[in-house]
Amino acid sequence: MPPIDGSDGLKAMIEDLVNKNRVMIFSKSACPYCLKAKDLFKSINVEYHAVELDKLDNGPAIQDTLQAMTGQRTVPNTFINGKHLGGYDSTLKAKENKTLEVMLDGESYDYDLVVIGGGSGGLACAKEAVKHGVKVACLDFVKPSPQGTTWGLGGTCVNVGCIPKKLMHQASILGHSIEDAKSYGWELKDEKVKHNWETMKNAIQDHIGSLNWNYRVELRSKEVTYQNSYGEFIDKHKIKCTNKRGKVQEMTSRYFILAMGGRPRYPDIPGCKEYCITSDDLFSLPYAPGKTLCIGASYVSLECAGFLTSLGFDVTVMVRSILLRGFDQQMAEEIGKYMADHGTKFIRPCVPVKIERLEEGQPGRYRVTGKMQDGTEVVDEYNTIVVAVGRDPCTKGIGLDTVGVDVDPKTGFVLASDGEQTSCPNIYAIGDVLKGRPELTPVAIQAGRLLAKRLFTSATLKCDYVNVPTTVFTPLEYGAIGMPEEVAIDKFGQGDIEVYHSHFLPLEWTLPHREENVCYAKLICVKSLKEKVIGLHVLGPNAGEITQGFTIGIKLGATKADFDNAIGIHPTCAEIFTTMNITKNSGVDISVSGC
Amino acid sequence: MVRQIVVEGFDNCMRTTEENKNSNVYILFSSSKVNGKSWCPDCVVAEPIVEECISKKSDDTVFIFCGVGDREFWKNASNPFRTDSRLKLKSVPTLLKWGKPKRLEENQCADKELVAMLLEED
Ligand SMILES: Cc1cc2nc3c(=O)[nH]c(=O)nc-3n(C[C@H](O)[C@H](O)[C@H](O)COP(=O)(O)OP(=O)(O)OC[C@H]3O[C@@H](n4cnc5c(N)ncnc54)[C@H](O)[C@@H]3O)c2cc1C
Repeated sequence: MPPIDGSDGLKAMIEDLVNKNRVMIFSKSACPYCLKAKDLFKSINVEYHAVELDKLDNGPAIQDTLQAMTGQRTVPNTFINGKHLGGYDSTLKAKENKTLEVMLDGESYDYDLVVIGGGSGGLACAKEAVKHGVKVACLDFVKPSPQGTTWGLGGTCVNVGCIPKKLMHQASILGHSIEDAKSYGWELKDEKVKHNWETMKNAIQDHIGSLNWNYRVELRSKEVTYQNSYGEFIDKHKIKCTNKRGKVQEMTSRYFILAMGGRPRYPDIPGCKEYCITSDDLFSLPYAPGKTLCIGASYVSLECAGFLTSLGFDVTVMVRSILLRGFDQQMAEEIGKYMADHGTKFIRPCVPVKIERLEEGQPGRYRVTGKMQDGTEVVDEYNTIVVAVGRDPCTKGIGLDTVGVDVDPKTGFVLASDGEQTSCPNIYAIGDVLKGRPELTPVAIQAGRLLAKRLFTSATLKCDYVNVPTTVFTPLEYGAIGMPEEVAIDKFGQGDIEVYHSHFLPLEWTLPHREENVCYAKLICVKSLKEKVIGLHVLGPNAGEITQGFTIGIKLGATKADFDNAIGIHPTCAEIFTTMNITKNSGVDISVSGC
Repeated sequence: MVRQIVVEGFDNCMRTTEENKNSNVYILFSSSKVNGKSWCPDCVVAEPIVEECISKKSDDTVFIFCGVGDREFWKNASNPFRTDSRLKLKSVPTLLKWGKPKRLEENQCADKELVAMLLEED
């Protein structure tokens, strides 16, 4: 119990010391932790005032009063700029996670970090940051799509991206496997196996629901403040948060991280926003889509067209010019050819002009008018139209201009340094909002984690955006690391590039007699760099699984000789990379046959 | 209004759930008491906290307290609580919203904030 007698007086005395001294340490002269605390401040050239309680008659009474005021009885008991910090451990931690600087500056914010956007990057960053003992909040708010679709915590990947897309891809692969199964002796009673869209959709949405829930539980357990509200900047340290009931709250923070991701873009043509859906709606569509048009040649468009075709729908893709801009064009055309051979129709080169509704319903019926490059008009009817012509970053209307965060004036992508710092020094950006970085979940996660470590520890490692592997999950998957062939030629010159390539036939395809010359692999090497491999491309089943493992080799600078030296695993598809000996230049035939 | 129902065993639990399928149904799976004593300390901690949280709910809600049997029955990996595809319980206590992918396990059930979050409307 604090002494009743004079404790008010002591309290006033303590408050006076605390207010007058930027760093105030209540200490004992022989206490080793007190010495350490003082040394810590000396080491950063910060003056402190110390009162040695063991040298004072009323020392024990002061200690009692301190306990009543701060809940801490032990020494050292340190205050900075009038705020209680704690003992030596707290001081050391504050130094390590860099919150001591803020206290010494006399700044005081509600949070050390507010992350705007609870997607792949934002969640990873918030969870990493709290590990270092700082106060973190994460805002996530989903504006409904024009069709009214919304979803829970986790961002694009979990709700309307990678996760549902890969599961629908798997549904389509299983369809092929059922076909193949007959050649392996499985006697399927009902020759006509049917697919039920609703069953698949519900199972996928259930899984997503459990992920949404687990993220919320995780944030709560890790003590990240989560708010289901929309963030807009008021000034560079203050944000306005509006929840779905319109309730407004303000938060201040030392740092902000922009992790708002992107949303599908709609072409500006009549009827598009009213009648078309996007990937934001497709994966939770309550009814089977029926005859479908996918507009665009992005990977999202081709992936959706691919699984919808395999699930048995009549699917057409409308393509303005090239497929998969930014990807290796030989591979892109091979994908298109395989899809066309397997029932997906392509209208090309063609742009949509207008969309009209003929009939409401689930699905409804729509007329799409397109214009071919040569001016001819094409008109057809569809039940569902999916637009996938690209995505725009969610950087508009949230006050980035007020706080001086520079964005690309044309596209809205945030401009940032290689350490993800924007033109407003306390605001950083990660993931899909960033200009010129791969828009992929693992990239957003890696950037978010490393950034949190750099902000709140002495770590310096930055995210390496080079040689990021990726896979397009079309029915025949396409995996790639490094440069597309045309980029490599551009950079090094045709004469310095050697491309090794080969078709391959997965063993599993032989019994069902699937086609022979569609799976394909190539290695792009630079002759003058001892045939260093700067691009690896593979088209075939499980290309994602194949590509991931090779990433380490490519990042370590593997040469063609290193690939030759590696021993394959037989019988696999990936082993093709250990035995490639035909160069494109040689013109030697690379076709394979099954016998 | 919250109605609280106490049941023992898998079959009773499923029957009660079916009877109330038009309401919001929450279930707390907990150790059965043997001679008035619980064999699961986490359950003992969680029960009063869950009870306190549900007493604050006002909408059409049914709350089922389900005893999963004695320790020996529960530990058997082939007991229906663990195997039924609608439940697939891994531990007690487990608190879940029936038909939704929301659940809390073990000491999460004793965290007032998490329990309140689970009881929130979707
Ligand atoms: C169909 C599709 C398939 C994909 N497939 C793959 C794949 O196979 N592999 C892969 O690696 N990547 C894939 N991606 C890309 C991947 O989803 C993204 O790269 C990743 O989600 C980006 O993460 P992020 O953290 O930048 O943003 P997001 O995950 O988009 O999260 C941003 C969050 O912030 C919220 N938000 C926006 N503005 C505000 C605001 N002002 N206030 C509060 N909250 C806000 C958004 O609603 C969203 O929840 C796919 C994307 C799509 C669309």
